[in-house]
Amino acid sequence: MKKLLTSAFVLMLAGGTVAAQDDPVKARQALMAAAAGAAGIAVPMLKGEMDYQPAVAKAAIATFYGVSTSAHAFFPEGSGADTKAAPKIWEDPAGFQAAFDKFQASAEAAFKASGKDGPADLKAFQQAVGPVLQNCGACHENYRLE
Amino acid sequence: MRGVIFAGAALVVIAGAAGWLLTAASPLEASALSGLQPGEAARGEAVFWAGGCTSCHARTGVEGDAQLELGGGLALRSDFGTFVAPNISPHPTDGIGSWSELDFANAMMRGVAPDGSHYYPAFPYTSYARMSEQDVVDLFAYMKTLPQVEGRAGEHDLSFPFSVRRGVGLWKMRYFSEDPVVDLPEDADPKVLRGQYLVEGPGHCGECHTPRDFGGGHDKSQWLAGAPSMEGSGRIPNITPSKDGIGDWSESDIAYYLESGFTPDFDSAGGEMAKVVRNLAKLTAEDREAIAAYLKAVPAKP
Repeated sequence: MKKLLTSAFVLMLAGGTVAAQDDPVKARQALMAAAAGAAGIAVPMLKGEMDYQPAVAKAAIATFYGVSTSAHAFFPEGSGADTKAAPKIWEDPAGFQAAFDKFQASAEAAFKASGKDGPADLKAFQQAVGPVLQNCGACHENYRLE
Repeated sequence: MRGVIFAGAALVVIAGAAGWLLTAASPLEASALSGLQPGEAARGEAVFWAGGCTSCHARTGVEGDAQLELGGGLALRSDFGTFVAPNISPHPTDGIGSWSELDFANAMMRGVAPDGSHYYPAFPYTSYARMSEQDVVDLFAYMKTLPQVEGRAGEHDLSFPFSVRRGVGLWKMRYFSEDPVVDLPEDADPKVLRGQYLVEGPGHCGECHTPRDFGGGHDKSQWLAGAPSMEGSGRIPNITPSKDGIGDWSESDIAYYLESGFTPDFDSAGGEMAKVVRNLAKLTAEDREAIAAYLKAVPAKP
């Protein structure tokens, strides 16, 4: 429950920075921290280290959905210096957009599948969130330095 | 620059004085592979993913079956110049289709080409030398089953004196060793020993995670302690069990990271390590746990 609150808080925090167009690096890093926080509750439930709760699962999915629809707006040209953002983001903008589209499509599908109260059981959660989690490594492989 | 030229000239003079013989390649005995079981592709596939062959020898960023098209082409930038990964598909002329099993073992375990010349150690035979002969012939059997890719990858682009291939013989005299890096007791847990084999041998983790000295060889006193990135930005992390390394990761944290790319903080691996994770995800859970056990057993470095 503590983790859920932390995650929800991180998400709200990230939402707040959306207005901070003048600091896109901070905004995107906060959004990625929100995604990491969501993974931090999704994975322990998937591994059985944390009891499954539909509402908690839905919070994680909703966080991914929010990040997936907003974070790509915070990678303006020239914002890569001294960050782990790979130059490929700006060398291959179509590929970067496609990676985000994939993230967004899977997160949106998971969000729709979770219904009002969240995925009914662990199996439903696994099916919904599994494809979303695959985007982390797939996108970082090409568009983040390490 | 003058110093570099002088050093280069000195290296050539030394190479000359040391003589042709000293720099000659030393291939395996012709009988090195006798007494093994015939190479088996199914076993070789596991070796293939442990060895990460596809990360350099397939086209960058490809997924699925395209990872098995080993036409080469990846450019590895370094202080010595740019190395280009060659075609190692079973194509008879552009790849390694006409090689014998012994040719392949010489390349992997001695860094020696079929024509007797040296390979540059950008090809991590310095690690592969610690592999078992059986794993090498199994790997060869598997690679024979992969698609033939036409076309040769580009040439290396190296600065003098590194462009003198014969000089690699001297480099090998100083740095090449098939001995284990970390001294483990003989009665060490078999799990740790298996992890040592995977990390120091096929997995070639030390190639990036261990710093190199002026000559481009590993500083084994800093084994797995992290190193500047060859590509020029950032650092490859320390993966020893220290405070600066991954001392606060549990074995299960490490094993899960190698499977999923998620750190204990749920950051997700990127860049080259994401490719490594994609390969290691195909190993058995036991092998990932063995790697984790070994990484907890190596000497901690600050």
